Amino acid sequence: MLRYCKALWRNLFRREQVERELDEEIRGYMEMMGTRGGIEQVKESVRDVRAGASLETLAQDLRYGLRTLKRNRGFAAVAIGTLALGIGATTTMFTIVDGVLLKPLPYPDPERLVMLWERQIPTGEIGTVAPANFYDWRAQSRSFAHMAAVDPYPDFILTGAGEPRRLAGAAVSYDFFRLFGTRMALGRDFVEAEDHPGRGQVVILSYAAFVRYFGARAEVVGHAATLNGSSFTVVGVLPRDFSLAARASDFQGRGRFEVFTPLALASPPEAWQRGTHPLCVFARLKVGVTLAGAQSDLDRIAGVLQRLFPADDQEAGIAAVPLGRRVVENVRTALVTLLAGVGMVFLIACANIANLLLTRAAARQREMNLRVALGASQGRLARQLFTESMVLAAAGGALGVAMAIMGVPALVRRLPADLPRAAEIAVDWRVLAFTTVVALATGVLFGLVPLAPSLRTGVRSVAARQSRLRSALVVGQVAIALVLLTGAGVMAKSLSRLLAVAPGFRTDDILTARLSLPPRFTNGYKFGVGKHREISRFERDLVERVRDIPGVESAAFAAYLPLGGTDNSWAFQIEGRPPKPAGVYDSANYRPVSGGYFETLGIPVVRGRGFNDRDTEDSPLVVAMNESMARMFWGQADPIRQRLRFGGEEWRSVVGVVGDVHHAALGAKPEPEMYLPYAQAPNVEARPTIVVRTAVQPAGVVNALRRAVAETAPDVPMDQIATMQQIVYGSVGESRFQTALLAAFAAMALAVASIGLYGVMSYMVSMRMREFGIRMAVGASRGAVLELVLRQAGKLAALGIAIGLAAAAMLARLIASLLYGVKPFDVATVAIVSAVLAIVALMASYLPARRAALADPMDSLRYE
Amino acid sequence: MGAPSELLQGTLDLLILKSLALEPLHGMGIARRIAQITNATFEVKAGSLFPALHRMEEAGWLASRWGESETNRRARFYKLTAVGRKQLRQESARWARISLAMASALQA
Repeated sequence: MLRYCKALWRNLFRREQVERELDEEIRGYMEMMGTRGGIEQVKESVRDVRAGASLETLAQDLRYGLRTLKRNRGFAAVAIGTLALGIGATTTMFTIVDGVLLKPLPYPDPERLVMLWERQIPTGEIGTVAPANFYDWRAQSRSFAHMAAVDPYPDFILTGAGEPRRLAGAAVSYDFFRLFGTRMALGRDFVEAEDHPGRGQVVILSYAAFVRYFGARAEVVGHAATLNGSSFTVVGVLPRDFSLAARASDFQGRGRFEVFTPLALASPPEAWQRGTHPLCVFARLKVGVTLAGAQSDLDRIAGVLQRLFPADDQEAGIAAVPLGRRVVENVRTALVTLLAGVGMVFLIACANIANLLLTRAAARQREMNLRVALGASQGRLARQLFTESMVLAAAGGALGVAMAIMGVPALVRRLPADLPRAAEIAVDWRVLAFTTVVALATGVLFGLVPLAPSLRTGVRSVAARQSRLRSALVVGQVAIALVLLTGAGVMAKSLSRLLAVAPGFRTDDILTARLSLPPRFTNGYKFGVGKHREISRFERDLVERVRDIPGVESAAFAAYLPLGGTDNSWAFQIEGRPPKPAGVYDSANYRPVSGGYFETLGIPVVRGRGFNDRDTEDSPLVVAMNESMARMFWGQADPIRQRLRFGGEEWRSVVGVVGDVHHAALGAKPEPEMYLPYAQAPNVEARPTIVVRTAVQPAGVVNALRRAVAETAPDVPMDQIATMQQIVYGSVGESRFQTALLAAFAAMALAVASIGLYGVMSYMVSMRMREFGIRMAVGASRGAVLELVLRQAGKLAALGIAIGLAAAAMLARLIASLLYGVKPFDVATVAIVSAVLAIVALMASYLPARRAALADPMDSLRYE
Repeated sequence: MGAPSELLQGTLDLLILKSLALEPLHGMGIARRIAQITNATFEVKAGSLFPALHRMEEAGWLASRWGESETNRRARFYKLTAVGRKQLRQESARWARISLAMASALQA
């Protein structure tokens, strides 16, 4: 062993001496024997048996490979560039899929985390949880180590330093962060004693809020901050990398909370807290408890609550959903589709490189023959080719990773805003491992490609098998390109259908902004009831001022803006109808709006009237509804002057029916909605939106609007300023993102596949130059030669398109859930993309065909 | 006696060891000695000889030094090491057994 190491050392690091001595020894031998030939072969065979021969060969092959690539700059650039593009795009997409779908959630034992939902037994729909229900679940369940709730509504207005600022807040039960296994970066977590009404004037800050609003000063912890006009003690700061894994839509469009305060439920909870459902509930399974075990525990509890509280819980079950699944289930299909799309681009790129290598192998046949003649073994040559393709793969892989490192942040900036776990997307060791495997696999594959045609023996020549392989590669490329083009085509059509949906309201010249009302307008933030008079006085004052701004045509308030990501629905009772059984309600979406809302947003009043300034807190209670609600609850009858009420409230008269709007999404069916005058709403959001219609560019009135708010109420922060067009555009963000990426992939696929076709046809033409020459010499016209070449290209393209159509038809249903208003295998789209592909294919083969047709027959005959 | 035969697999090592049993030799000397002791039955080619010599030296059976050949040129002389002598004894014994077995098998 020691001896071997010594020999290895000598061979590797004293190479010159070893080689010199070898040369002298063999040369001396040859001279003594009186022969000359074969010195190099003998030396080569000695080198092959020496210690470290394989290492040395590798180094030699690497050097040789690099030198060959340097000599063939064009080839190397095209091959490495194509590979880098493919690997870079694939790595980038994989990084996103890995961060969002594959990585375990960033908490200890994440597989034991679940979300608990109230489930409507008749429909199976799941929804957020009533505080009183959460209280009972937590008290009665046996399966969970922790169960904690989040109320995602309370916002905090920070004063004391310049302009008032709104901080996105959440109220959480005291062990919420313990449930996630999160430790504070500074200070401490909440304690149980703080989680009771009146005790919890304490807050925990997110790291971002700590930096942004408190200057990252550690002494903030333990000191008071003025929030909502009263003093809260900052007890802790979350670590920088804490993020709440959740779907934004579960939290009324909010995921990034800046400040947390204890939930402080009364014990026992008040009765009304069983009829309102603001909470998201998280739980951690005890060690050894399965999801099914926990579910049966919850079913038992649901049974108890159904008997105890039939009025609220008659139809209510409880559903436990693994957190990891819940968070990503609505983006999984889209991301997997995009990863598959980029994988297809990669395959097409690989096919191109394979073709390049085949062509090069043919061109290098002479070099290989020469080396065999000089004593290189077949195995040695195969290894040489292998090393070269590995060098290509490594270079392509390294460049690809560099592309991904630059591309990922650029792509992350363009992600739809509500993509979950976006913060966890990073090029890390997992991604690097993925890319290494991909690059190595392509290296091995490409090493094999030039050998493949020579492996089998048979009647056909190597050249014939090579050309068959080439054609097969091109057919595959065209087929994959067609699948991608079809996908991109239907996505684009879906997006255009989506954007063509009439939203039911005006989108031009509308400016919107969110206002945050401090506690003097409300009764605190805990599932409370607003102080209507204060709110509606503020609303009337502000709207009056805003209407006076030059360029403003009208202005109004709304608690929930269409496509704004917030919603609420209320149960009601219609006068004169038989009472519903316990636990069953009629309900509709709940929309407090101010007078002038319908006019401002251009929502047509179909029957009766809209609201006006005479609908105040002292006038008779009224309600309006959209056509969907009128149709659902009154059918063909006229609901005007009918009456309905909420809970034990007074009856209110229906005064108008208005047009439907798309509230949840452009692609979602309008739901029944009822509108109430702001001044008469039994409960209003503390964060109304002001809607302004302008005669000028909406952006031009932002400053005046800001001034008007400051003059009306200096303690009301205004943020989320956006035009209605931006909101509509943002609401289709996911669809836009998917369409843009898939279209980019399809364009890449089309380009790379047409380059592939061009390459193969060029090669075919150069191989058959003699034949064309003979044909023309015996009287074939140029047109006939042109046709000959184009027909061959057409055959390959047609076969590829046919296979691609079959594949697209099979894969289509997989993306059905991503589409709106278009079938996944939309015939018109398929026809168009097939035609595009056919035209591009003919264009790519036209140049080689023309070269064949224009060549001088005499030159062609001499062509070799 | 026909043309010189190709060497049997594994016999080359043994012949080299045997040829070096008396004195150190250089490459050509080894080739000649092998021809001599086998009555020119085997002709060892450089392409087989030198890889074998280098392999056996790395295995520690042979040691080499540079010296003067009989025609006064620098040549590399190989000699048996202690390990090499042991190897020669073992291989000779093994070969004797094999050839005896082969001979009796063919006469049966």
